[in-house]
Amino acid sequence: MRRKVIRVGSSKGVLLPREVTKAMSWEFGSEIELTADEAKHEVYLKTLKVTIPDDYEIEHLHQLEDIFQEYNNLLGGFND
Amino acid sequence: MTKDQVRQIKLICYANWLITEKVGGDKGVRDLQMLKATVTLPGGLSLTCFLGEKLPNRKDLFLQLGWFIFYMLDSEPFNARNRTTTLLLLLWVLRYYRLGFDAPEFAEYIRTLDTLKHGNSDISLWLANHCR
Repeated sequence: MRRKVIRVGSSKGVLLPREVTKAMSWEFGSEIELTADEAKHEVYLKTLKVTIPDDYEIEHLHQLEDIFQEYNNLLGGFND
Repeated sequence: MTKDQVRQIKLICYANWLITEKVGGDKGVRDLQMLKATVTLPGGLSLTCFLGEKLPNRKDLFLQLGWFIFYMLDSEPFNARNRTTTLLLLLWVLRYYRLGFDAPEFAEYIRTLDTLKHGNSDISLWLANHCR
């Protein structure tokens, strides 16, 4: 797919198509890694990989997210 | 602090971060000393149920949860979503230990709990009477 470089204030920018941001799960504020290969005239965008410290039990974190999804209505209804 | 207590604090912080990410609210710890108190039970004990320890009897589990709920609601260690964070972790622990419970009833209990009227022992007793 092709995109034009556009003006964003005093900078240059390229708009990412919706299908790309959706496929990458990029939201407003998501951080991405950008690398440029000058020799090839190519630019790469990557999802920023986050390393979770060893003392976190990853399975427990996933379970907490599952519980949140399951009880979304109850948990979302609190003021505090 | 013990290594286990540090891990417990990190898990509680993750739960609070997750909640604020999903439903909004100020992120961050308001009072770290209060958070430390939440994972420091009398007699050198801590909230080992959050680390997946299979406690030998329910009394120990409810004792830990009563302590956790009381200090989370009374001292409000986070900037926001203290009650929601408490409920999320409570639901996770009850599910982890395969206990039967009425989620809306538990949510209402956490939402309306007044720590000026009910101490950690009262909360432990309530949990013991409402889990199957």
